[in-house]
Amino acid sequence: MKFSKLLAVGALSLSALISSVQAAESVKVGVLHSLSGTMAISETSLRDILLFTFDEINAKGGVLGKKIEPVVVDGASDWPLFAEKAKQLLEQDEVAVTFGCWTSVSRKSVLPVYEKNNGLLFYPVQYEGEEESQNVFYTAEAVNQQATPAVDYLLEQGYTKFYLLGTDYVYPQTTNLVLLEYLLSKGVPIENIGGGFRRDGDGDVISAGKYTGFGHTDYQQIISEIKQFAAGGDTAVISTLNGDTNVPFFKEYAAAGLSAETCPVVSFSISEDEFRGLPADQLVGQLGCWTYFQSIESPANEKFVADFQAWLAKSNVTGLVKEGRVTCSPMVLSYAGVYLWKAAVEKAGSFDVDKVRMALKSGLSFDGPGGTVTTQPNMHLTKNVFIGETKANGQFEILEEFEGVYGEPWLKGKFK
Amino acid sequence: MKIIHTHRWLVIYALLLWGGNSVGAATSREVIAEAMLASNDREKIAIIDTLAGLGDADLAALLAAWKRDELFVFSDTNGSKTPVLIPGGQDAFDTAVPQTILGQVILVDGSGEVVVPTRDTMDRVRHNNRLRRAMKRVLDLMDLGSEAAGKRLQAVQTIGFSRDLDNLPVLEARLAIEENGQVHQALRQAIALVQLNHAEPVVRLAAVKELGKIHSLSSTDALTSILADATKAGDQALVAAATSALREVEEHRSVVDFVGTIFRGLSLGSILLVVALGLAITFGLMGVINMAHGEMIAVGAYTTYLVQNIFGAGIVIPAFGLSIGIPGMNLEGWGYELYFVAAVPASFLMAALVGIALERGIIQFLYRRPLESLLATWGVSLVLQQVFKLMFGANNVQVSSPSYLSGNWTVADIVFGWNRVFVIGFAILIVFGVWLALNKTSLGLLIRAVMQNRSMAGFMGVRTARVNMLTFGLGSGLAGLAGAFLSQIGNVGPSLGQAYIVDSFMVVVVGGVGNIAGTVISAFGIGGIDQVLQQYLPVWAPGLGWVPFFGGFLQNLAQDSSVFGKILVLAFIILFLQWRPAGIFARKGRQLDE
Amino acid sequence: MIAQPDNSRLKTELIIAGMIAFFMLVVMPILNAQGIISNFTINLWGKYLSYALLAISVDLLWGYTGLLSLGQALFFTLGGYMHGMYLMRMIGDLGQYQQPIPDFLVFLGWTELPNFWKPFSSFPFAFGMVLLVPGIVAGIFGFFAFRSRIKGVYFSILTQALTYAAAIMFFRNNLLLGGNNGFTDFKFILGFDILSATTQRWLYIATGVTLLGVYALCRWLSKTKFGLVQRAIRDGENRVLFSGYAAADYKLFVFVLSAMIASVAGALYVPQVGIINPGEMVPAKSLEAVVWVAVGGRGTLVGPIIGAIFINVLKSWAARAFPDLWLFLLGGLFILVVIFLPGGLVSLPERLRPVWAKIRSWFPSRAVAVTAPADSDSNPTKLN
Repeated sequence: MKFSKLLAVGALSLSALISSVQAAESVKVGVLHSLSGTMAISETSLRDILLFTFDEINAKGGVLGKKIEPVVVDGASDWPLFAEKAKQLLEQDEVAVTFGCWTSVSRKSVLPVYEKNNGLLFYPVQYEGEEESQNVFYTAEAVNQQATPAVDYLLEQGYTKFYLLGTDYVYPQTTNLVLLEYLLSKGVPIENIGGGFRRDGDGDVISAGKYTGFGHTDYQQIISEIKQFAAGGDTAVISTLNGDTNVPFFKEYAAAGLSAETCPVVSFSISEDEFRGLPADQLVGQLGCWTYFQSIESPANEKFVADFQAWLAKSNVTGLVKEGRVTCSPMVLSYAGVYLWKAAVEKAGSFDVDKVRMALKSGLSFDGPGGTVTTQPNMHLTKNVFIGETKANGQFEILEEFEGVYGEPWLKGKFK
Repeated sequence: MKIIHTHRWLVIYALLLWGGNSVGAATSREVIAEAMLASNDREKIAIIDTLAGLGDADLAALLAAWKRDELFVFSDTNGSKTPVLIPGGQDAFDTAVPQTILGQVILVDGSGEVVVPTRDTMDRVRHNNRLRRAMKRVLDLMDLGSEAAGKRLQAVQTIGFSRDLDNLPVLEARLAIEENGQVHQALRQAIALVQLNHAEPVVRLAAVKELGKIHSLSSTDALTSILADATKAGDQALVAAATSALREVEEHRSVVDFVGTIFRGLSLGSILLVVALGLAITFGLMGVINMAHGEMIAVGAYTTYLVQNIFGAGIVIPAFGLSIGIPGMNLEGWGYELYFVAAVPASFLMAALVGIALERGIIQFLYRRPLESLLATWGVSLVLQQVFKLMFGANNVQVSSPSYLSGNWTVADIVFGWNRVFVIGFAILIVFGVWLALNKTSLGLLIRAVMQNRSMAGFMGVRTARVNMLTFGLGSGLAGLAGAFLSQIGNVGPSLGQAYIVDSFMVVVVGGVGNIAGTVISAFGIGGIDQVLQQYLPVWAPGLGWVPFFGGFLQNLAQDSSVFGKILVLAFIILFLQWRPAGIFARKGRQLDE
Repeated sequence: MIAQPDNSRLKTELIIAGMIAFFMLVVMPILNAQGIISNFTINLWGKYLSYALLAISVDLLWGYTGLLSLGQALFFTLGGYMHGMYLMRMIGDLGQYQQPIPDFLVFLGWTELPNFWKPFSSFPFAFGMVLLVPGIVAGIFGFFAFRSRIKGVYFSILTQALTYAAAIMFFRNNLLLGGNNGFTDFKFILGFDILSATTQRWLYIATGVTLLGVYALCRWLSKTKFGLVQRAIRDGENRVLFSGYAAADYKLFVFVLSAMIASVAGALYVPQVGIINPGEMVPAKSLEAVVWVAVGGRGTLVGPIIGAIFINVLKSWAARAFPDLWLFLLGGLFILVVIFLPGGLVSLPERLRPVWAKIRSWFPSRAVAVTAPADSDSNPTKLN
């Protein structure tokens, strides 16, 4: 017993020694994305951009003189596994910060883990809001940084009827709920909102939109409904369909003789990266709304795109796809997140989560590829919003820009 | 104002009848050059709108170039701006020679040198949906006189929706000489729609009646608002007319919905049939529970993708550290679009080969243990999905639809998509082919013999191992064919097969194992029920509030009828099998266990 | 097969099981309390043990009765949801909206709790539902299925369809069970902070004790006449039927029992992983559980436990070490086990015995005449 105890103490002090030696040179940073399973399509790109950003920062001397040492774990599109991996990152690897998650359910799954261990997670993907944790920094687009500017644009263009369509999960449900309130507040009559309504016991409308399941393949009926709805002209479809289901939707849409000129679709979930798997020639003229497009013409963005391509060419990360890569909004928000964290750490002079959070809340700015972004006291990000139109090469042509839009997570009931 | 309008429609009239040149002050070139220099979209649109009805031969070409991103404004060092055309757009800056819009001459600078375009000096003239709609309005008026009926039809529809009284004379003029039935109908609708804005109550009343008579689906909104206005104004005659017109339109709509639902049911049924037919052979006849059936479909879809790239620019496939380059034939136009014709047999062959390898490698050891074939083939399916990921990436790949599969016929407002019609025709064809192969060939005879009693067939001298192999190959090949068709209507990605595996098993089980006719009936039955529920659940649901306990729940089904339709179909299937455990056509026999 | 082992082997199994149970249930928690074994490890093993429980429920049906159910994931998830509803109620007004009803109800526009949610504030009620709901679903489905004599492959495909339909149903937000997000962000269980190390340790112990109890129950059941009939149904249902036994009733009982075991496994799983959503219900999850049993060794009671733990440990390790290749590893393993090792990992010693004997025969001084075991039970009879 004594001996084993001695051994244990020896091992402990040895490992403490090793880790303190490492700590002098590097700081551990977690990367928590799905590298396998259904979400790997989208999330692998975020892992790539994060590794690129770390290399870029390390080449310039790291953070507070320490090199960033990434700990990459695979959430495998399995939500309980996300929580397990988050625990591993926080309790075993003791990372200073984590960049990760794509789906809302994965964020919800790891949230209690971060709150319990007082960790810090940077979340980069458009989301439904209605959440404000002190342990998550949302670089993501809030609904008022995508959906409401897009509707403003459509109203200005003279569209009068709107068909709401989405995949049945939290983000589309919340977006459509907010949009319903927003459209009504703008004077759009309720019969000009298509897709169906949900009513409460008294028959009052509480939500709107047509919903299909994940991986839905048969859009014949919905398209015929849209076609009839749009027959009177000046109609736009507002789509929150999730990645995979867009292909059958747009193929059916084109086959029914609808086009961007007769009835445009504005999609909030199709970025340049998703375009790699979509029939681009059938989507020309359809609209998108993000806080970054690869086609932004600014020196910062051109340098960012070129540097990323150069990194891809020489990197030897396993499983890295090198051909046909693009940059998109979630990637840039991941990139901005790392730099904002770096700025916060440097301002706080420490990796301590509480101090870093204080610094983040104080309003730090970063001039990134999408223009200047500024942190807010509610752990969200003020950024520029762009409306773009898709082109045959899978890029967006920017039509309109809204500068410095404040990220507002609590929108339900705001426009009533 | 009035005079200008009269003048304008006279000009249009002249255009329509004689197709002559513009007699207006400014040519299309001049107007477009002016629009290009305008400072904002609103101005641009206003300028383009002045072209309505006045366009000359240059107009269409110039607007097309605009849409192709080939129009630029050149800024000189001294600040003067010149609108130019650069064929090929930004990508061709190195080689192209800029041409001025106005003079149609090569653009030269002060010293007479040809200007080499750069991003700094050339400002691309942008366009968005609204601008393009303005362009379309202008082009539509030109298109009214077009030779092609399809173009005229589109033009008439757009002009009708604009409901601009100015366009009335030109529409009426066209109506008098229009010979095409469909366009004629559209013209009547467009005229009536425009007349709804007319100042004379008599004309409005006639227009409302006309819209009812021609069952114009697209006039619902207009009629509803007229009805509301008339009710407010107390115009009884108009209220009655609008009400009855709306009723007629709704009656027509219910016919369109009904026929459309039948067509959509047929097309979904055909897809289920095509997807399940291979399984009807491997599972139904051979008794192998092939969980990798979905991946065989994916093999077919990826083969289509490969063939498409071979017809196009070629492709490089990274496979286990190696890069395999496949050169392309670089075809364009029709030659390229024919890729699908080649892809269909290629998909069949490729999937059949993979199937044969699977049978030889694994399944042949498991004929006596059907439940374990389920586990082993599930392992195969995991491995194959990962192979797809490594070879083609985790992303979906792009498979383009050839033009002969991406249009539609519209008959009395019912849309028949070509891809759907094609799938229905194709399903009939392969069912017939399979029936022939099983019943009219000697291989078919051997297959049936081996499937009925493997050892007895063996004693009679049938090489059962070979027959097993070929049968499994046939089943897998059919799955490959299904993949080729699914590539035309949905995703092509590593998990493509997973989306269809449960459906295919359902179709085969409901149809009755080992029975092709049962599979056909069950596929169309399931497809039909699904589409009927999707179409009519939202109609029925609001009336279900009276149901005790579930009323509120049922009323809200309209929002996700597509999902709930699917659940109900599965519930029907489960109940149906309680009633007929062996499916529609049970295999007759006196055995207790099969 | 070790389906009905002779007494000496049963004794060995029991001794080994007892030793492992002592280590897992007493030594590991103590080491955890001392801080030698991390909370993370305990938590992970708690998850593995609930998977092992699920695997036993699969094996009870498949290995012992010959019914391959692809619906066990459904019962597992149902149990998780029933317990989850209790845990959601325990959040109180600590959610994002600080309302007394769950967050997802608030954003769907609800202002008060729907009726069917109300009783779930009580733990005993929720616990009763954990047993009842899956029991009733299995009872109704099984009653009709066995009455129409649906068996073999058809039973598998039908249970898969049932699971698939339920999964689509649970993905709908309008079902008011959280849709795709399911339930998360639990705070308290029976008044204790659910995230504290002590609570997690006790949850781990509870899972282990349940597993031990279920193991003992099944061990006892297989020794009774009931167990005998069960295996007789597996090996020749018609003969059982003609001998005057109501085979359908036996099958129904086993089906309901195994649904309840799966459900309890799910109920234990949820507080340990902190989330339950319909993703746990998709057909692939049921298949995965079947594979654990196949790899471990079906028709035995230790097999499923070993299989569940072995594959999940392998998965945790390989998914990190070879993210691109581990599906090959997993898929390849299934294929190899099915073809070359139908008895699973537990049959490995048996399979290796001749090899071992050969090795021993190289050393004549210690050579013992080894005869093949005259154990009629070890012939894998028709097992499908």
